[in-house]
Amino acid sequence: MKIARILGAAVITAGLLLPAVPSFAHHSFAAEFDATNCRDFTGTLTKIDWQNPHGYFYMDVKDANGKVESWSFQTYALITLKRAGIERQLFIDNIGKEVWVRGCLARNGRQNYAASGTLKFSDGILRQVGQLQD
Amino acid sequence: MKVHLRYGFACLAVLTLLYVLSLPAGAQDTIKVMPPGGPAPRMADGHPDFSGLWLPNSAGQGVSGRFGVDPLARRQFDPKVTPEEPPSFQPWALAKIKAMTPTELELSKSSVNCMPRGVPAIWLQNPYSTQLVSTPGQLVQLFEVLNNFRVIPTDGRPHTRYPEPLFQGEGVGRWEGDTLVVDGISFDERTYIMPNGWFHSDALHVVERYTRPSMNYLIVEITVEDPKVLTKPWKSAPRRWTLTNDHINEFYCTNNHELDELQKLRTQELESKGK
Repeated sequence: MKIARILGAAVITAGLLLPAVPSFAHHSFAAEFDATNCRDFTGTLTKIDWQNPHGYFYMDVKDANGKVESWSFQTYALITLKRAGIERQLFIDNIGKEVWVRGCLARNGRQNYAASGTLKFSDGILRQVGQLQD
Repeated sequence: MKVHLRYGFACLAVLTLLYVLSLPAGAQDTIKVMPPGGPAPRMADGHPDFSGLWLPNSAGQGVSGRFGVDPLARRQFDPKVTPEEPPSFQPWALAKIKAMTPTELELSKSSVNCMPRGVPAIWLQNPYSTQLVSTPGQLVQLFEVLNNFRVIPTDGRPHTRYPEPLFQGEGVGRWEGDTLVVDGISFDERTYIMPNGWFHSDALHVVERYTRPSMNYLIVEITVEDPKVLTKPWKSAPRRWTLTNDHINEFYCTNNHELDELQKLRTQELESKGK
């Protein structure tokens, strides 16, 4: 019982120690995207646009009613991804596979368009692919 | 007492394990401030050689989008040690900047509109690498961002008589001991000094001071004089760039969805003002 109490306290303390996901100030994030309107997306990676100043990737995401919608997500500049060890080939290798991403929606109301932040491919590794701030 | 100690160790072990497991992959590998390295190399004429690929941080490698980076390694300077005063604007200039809407401000940024940053912004608001090639009498600057370049004579020559306005202006260099001083005039008025609406006039005069105190560090200090816009000259902190063994990339700014999205947002702003 005591051990359970200690473990419980340890879990709570560890939670407080969790590092916040780093955020990276970017030129236009706040103007273009709504940091108060962010959510998690799980879907299938369908396509990438690998061009500067930003990359884009596309996912088929099921809504609450099971309807599949195509979403596009903005990434960092490609050089930033490359210097962080995130290569184009990694995205290509994951086309057709399940992806999880945290994204913030566009402020101008554009449908199915978001800035990406952290992302997980099927290898389960958390990667920072965009300038999401929430 | 023994029991408490045992629980204490168990608690600590669980805490440590949970903390490590909670870290994103790679976060355990902290990226630290790069050591200074040995003395700076010199050219045949005895002046410091600035050649190398430089990144605007203290890490000597990319830091954006990476976990586990020492905050000091992200910085170009420590504001507690070398504070940087804000620019002191003429009242009319400050009013002009304050009148910009958030979207107008975004659309003015080189990172959004894909116009060249120009000097001095390319040394003040540039997160990408810069390749320097020093030769006696000349410094070549190859900027990764937007594939911009500059060739600066360093033989102490004066400015030309009728310089034309350019994004990079007309820069002429001279040596003051081991410091290369580049004097710049004649700048295209479409550029901004900082991505906060700080515009400039045709009277802009920029002085860049380059030093390489050691193998791995390049220090760039900028002075901005613009009596039509500022009430007094502005001086940057000595900003540190670190040597990297990475390579320079191509960066053409194309397919910029951002510009379209922001222009739609600007239309919405104007419509809401009209109501």
